[in-house]
Amino acid sequence: MSFIVRTVARTADGRDIVRPKSFDKAELSIGRSPSCDIHLPDLAVTLDHAVIRAAPGGYVEIAATAGLPFVVDGKSTEHARVSVSDGAIVRIGSHALAIEAGEGEDKRSTIVTVERVGAISNASEEKEEARVFSLAAVLPSKRVLAWAGVLLVLAIFLAWPLLSINLQPTDQTRKVAFHADELWTSGKLSQVHAGLENNCQACHVKAGESVRDTACAACHKTVHDHAQPKLLMQAKGSSGFITGTKHLVGGIFGIAPGRCVECHTEHQGRTQMPVTDQKFCTNCHLDMSSRIRTTLKDVGDFDVDQHPQFAPTIRVMGGDGLPTFRRVSLDANPKESSGLKFPHDMHLSTTNGVAQMARTLGKGDGYGEPLQCANCHTRETSGSTFVAVNMERACSACHSLAFDQIGGTIRTLRHGDPAQVAADIRAFYRAGVTRPGVFTGMERRRPGDFATARARIDYAQTTAMRIGNADQAIRAVFSKGGACFDCHIVRPTGNPVTPFSVVPPQLADRYLRKGWFDHAKHETESCTSCHAVRSSHFASDVNLPKIVKCQECHGGQDARKAVPSSCAMCHDYHRTDFAPLLVRNSRVRGKEGEFIGVKALKEAGSGI
Amino acid sequence: MASKSMRQATQGRERASEHEGFLRYQSYKWLKIALLIALMTTLIYAFNDVKPKPNGGTIYGYTTGTIGVLLILWLTMLGVRKRAIAPGRWSLKSWTSAHVYLGLALVVIGSLHTGFDLGWNIHTLAYVLMLLVIGSGVFGIAAYASLPQALSANRGETTQIQMLDNVRMLDRMLNEAAQPLPADQAAIVQMALHDDPFGGGLISRLTGRYPKCGTRAALEAVRAHHIREEGVADPLDHVEVLLERRRSSLARIRKHLRLKALLEIWLYVHVPLTFALIAALFVHIVSVFYYW
Repeated sequence: MSFIVRTVARTADGRDIVRPKSFDKAELSIGRSPSCDIHLPDLAVTLDHAVIRAAPGGYVEIAATAGLPFVVDGKSTEHARVSVSDGAIVRIGSHALAIEAGEGEDKRSTIVTVERVGAISNASEEKEEARVFSLAAVLPSKRVLAWAGVLLVLAIFLAWPLLSINLQPTDQTRKVAFHADELWTSGKLSQVHAGLENNCQACHVKAGESVRDTACAACHKTVHDHAQPKLLMQAKGSSGFITGTKHLVGGIFGIAPGRCVECHTEHQGRTQMPVTDQKFCTNCHLDMSSRIRTTLKDVGDFDVDQHPQFAPTIRVMGGDGLPTFRRVSLDANPKESSGLKFPHDMHLSTTNGVAQMARTLGKGDGYGEPLQCANCHTRETSGSTFVAVNMERACSACHSLAFDQIGGTIRTLRHGDPAQVAADIRAFYRAGVTRPGVFTGMERRRPGDFATARARIDYAQTTAMRIGNADQAIRAVFSKGGACFDCHIVRPTGNPVTPFSVVPPQLADRYLRKGWFDHAKHETESCTSCHAVRSSHFASDVNLPKIVKCQECHGGQDARKAVPSSCAMCHDYHRTDFAPLLVRNSRVRGKEGEFIGVKALKEAGSGI
Repeated sequence: MASKSMRQATQGRERASEHEGFLRYQSYKWLKIALLIALMTTLIYAFNDVKPKPNGGTIYGYTTGTIGVLLILWLTMLGVRKRAIAPGRWSLKSWTSAHVYLGLALVVIGSLHTGFDLGWNIHTLAYVLMLLVIGSGVFGIAAYASLPQALSANRGETTQIQMLDNVRMLDRMLNEAAQPLPADQAAIVQMALHDDPFGGGLISRLTGRYPKCGTRAALEAVRAHHIREEGVADPLDHVEVLLERRRSSLARIRKHLRLKALLEIWLYVHVPLTFALIAALFVHIVSVFYYW
C-alpha cells in the first residue's frame, strides 16, 4: 500500500504544474509544518492537522490529530473512512485533497491530489474592479431603486386611494375614519365643512367632473340665487382675456361659470370659510347699469364716492292716504310716516320737564337721570338690533292711561283698542260717577306732581275739569290734550258708539334691508355719535347716519382705513335676511375686535 | 507651407485644450436664461393677487404646473441623450449646462406653483421629491467640482488595480511569514487575510470608518500577544511590520473608496428619486383631475 501525492501549483499565467511524490508507507501526516508528508502552506491548517492511513479492504482512513475538523465530501468531521475506488474530496483549510485509486502501473497506490482551491486572502480573490471600487458593490442598482420608488409611490398614492374610492361605501354606513383618497386632498376643509374631511365623494361626486352646484345643494337646500342666472351673466358683461380663456377651457370640460365654488373656495385650511372677495361683487356691480337695466346703483368699493348713499326703506303716505314703503336716499332728506308723534329732542333734553320727570321717577323704575336712549330702545338678545318699542314698557311710566282707582287697584284704559277705551269710559259713567276719571293727556303731568306712582292719578287736577258724562270724557281722551291724541293721529269714525279711531303707528324695524348693520359691533360708539336724535324734533325724521359717517372708519376691502370692509361685511349675496357670513363668522369665533382697529377705538372715544 | 499648416494645427490644438466646463458653457448662457425665467415667474407671482390665498389651482398655478412637468420630463431626457452619441448643435455639454441651470430654475417654478400651500398629501410629496432631486443634483455638482482633485492626490500615480495588487502582495508575504506560527497566532493573521478591503456597507464607504477592520484587529492582537525578546528573531515581528504596511495600504484604498462614494452617491439619490418624482407627478395630475 502506497500513496502518490500530486501537488498542483498554478503559475502566474494560469498553467498547472503537477509535482508527484511517492510515499511507500501506510500513513501520511498532513499539516502546515514543513516536516509533514503532505505540506499545506495554509494558515487555516494547523502545523499537524491530520493523518491519512491505509485501511483494509481498499479503504483509507483520515483522522484529525489536533482536534480540528476537516471536510469530506461536504461534511465536516474529525474521522472519515473512504473507499479508494469510490474516491473522495477532503477539504482542509483552503486546500482540497482528492483521493482516488491509481491506474496503470500505479494501480496499487492511492493517489492524493493536493490543490489550493481558496485564495490566500480575501483581497487575493478575483474582484471585478469596476464593481468593487464603486458604490454598486454596496447599493442596489439605480434601476432597482428607481423601480422600487415608482412602485411604492404608485401603490400608496394611486392604487390605495383608487381601491378606497371604489370599495368604501359613500352612504350612512361609511366609517368616520381615514380613507386613502384623503392622500389626494389639496388642503384641509374649512371649519364648517370639517365633517366632510374624510368623505371626498360628498362633493367630488363623479370622477373627473369638477364639483357641481348640485353637490352643495344636497345639503344647502334653502339657499337661493342672487338673481336670475341669465341676468347674472348679462351683468357680468364680456370677460377679459384671462377670464375668457378660463371659461373657454372650462367649457371644454363642462365647467359652467357661476358655480358655488367660484366664490366659496374650499381646501384653504381649517379656518373659517373664507370671506368672498370683493372683486366677485364688483365684477358686475362696478358699472352694472351700463350692461343691464336695473334700479341698483353702481358700486365699486366702500370708499368715498364709490358707494351710493344709503337708501332706507321708509313708510310714506301715498296720495290716496294709504301707506307705502319706498327706498329713499338719505341725501333726499326723507320723511317717514310712522303715524306717531314723538319729538326725540324733547325726550333727550337734560334740562326740560321730561328730564325732571325722569329724575323724579327714580332709580326704582329704571329712571332717575334724564332720559337715555336705552330707557326706551332695548337691544334684542343677539345685540345686533333692537326690539320694537313697546308703549306699555317704554312710555307708560310717564304717559299713564290710568283713569280710576278702586281700593289699591288702578284701572287703565286699554292701549291699542279705541273701541274698548270708549266702552270702558261708558261703563265707568254708567256705574254712577261719584268721582271723576282722569282722561287728560300730558299737560296734566307737570314737574313736581309725581312724587309717587299713585300720584299719577291726580284727583285734584282732574276734578277741576268736571267732565260731566261719558261722551264728553271720550271726546276729551281722543282730542288735543287727551291721552290718545298726544301721541297718535286720531280720526273721527262717525260711529256714535266708538266715535274715534287711531291711525295704527308702524315703526320701522329695519331701515336698511339690502344691507346689514350690527349694533353690537359698534359698542365703542355712543348712539348719538351716529344718530343725530338730539336735534330731531319730529317723529318723521329718519335719524340714520349718512354714509360719510361710516366712511370715517370704514373703507373698501383694500383701503388703508381703520376698518377695511369688503362688500360681505354688510351685504349677503344670497339675501337670506340673516347677518352676512363675515359678521356671523367673527361672532362665532369671538373675534369681534378683529375688524375694529385700535385707531377706530381711539377716534370713537367714549363720550356722547 | 508645411510649417505654416503645422503651426495652425498646433494653434488649433491649443485652443481646443482650453477647457470650458458645462457650468461656464457659452459664457453662462443657460444661467442667464434660467435667471430670466425665475425672475419672470417671481414677478408674475408677486403681482398675481389670488384670493383667498395662492394655490396650484389658479391659472398661474396651472401654467407653472404645466411648464414644470414638461421641464421635469425634458430634464430626465438627459439620461437618454447622454447615451446617444450624436453630433449636432445640441452638444452634450450644452445639454448638461441647460440641465443644471433649468433644473435650478425649477425650484422657483415648482415652489411658486405650490403657492406655498403645503400639506401631508401627494401634491406636497411630489414637491418634496422634486426638491430632493434638485438638491442631490446640486450636491453632485459640488462633488464633481471639488472631489476629483482629492481623489487624484490620494491615488498618486497608482491605478486602482495597482492599489489592490499591493494588498495582494502583502497578503502573500503575510501568508509566508505566518507559516511557522502556531494555530492561535496564525488565526490572528487570518483575521487580516480574511478582511475584505471592499467590505463594510454604505455608511463605511461614505464615512471611511471600518469598525470591524480585521487588519487593525490583527495588529492590535499581535502587539498585545506577548512581549518579544530583543535580539531574538520572532516571526511575529515580521508579521507586525507586514500588518502595519497592509493597514496603510488599506487606508489609501478606503480613502479612495470614500471619495468615489461621495462622487457617486448623489446619482443613487438623483436617478431613483427622479423616477419616483415622475410617478408622484403622474398621481398628482390624476388626483387633481379625478377630484376636480
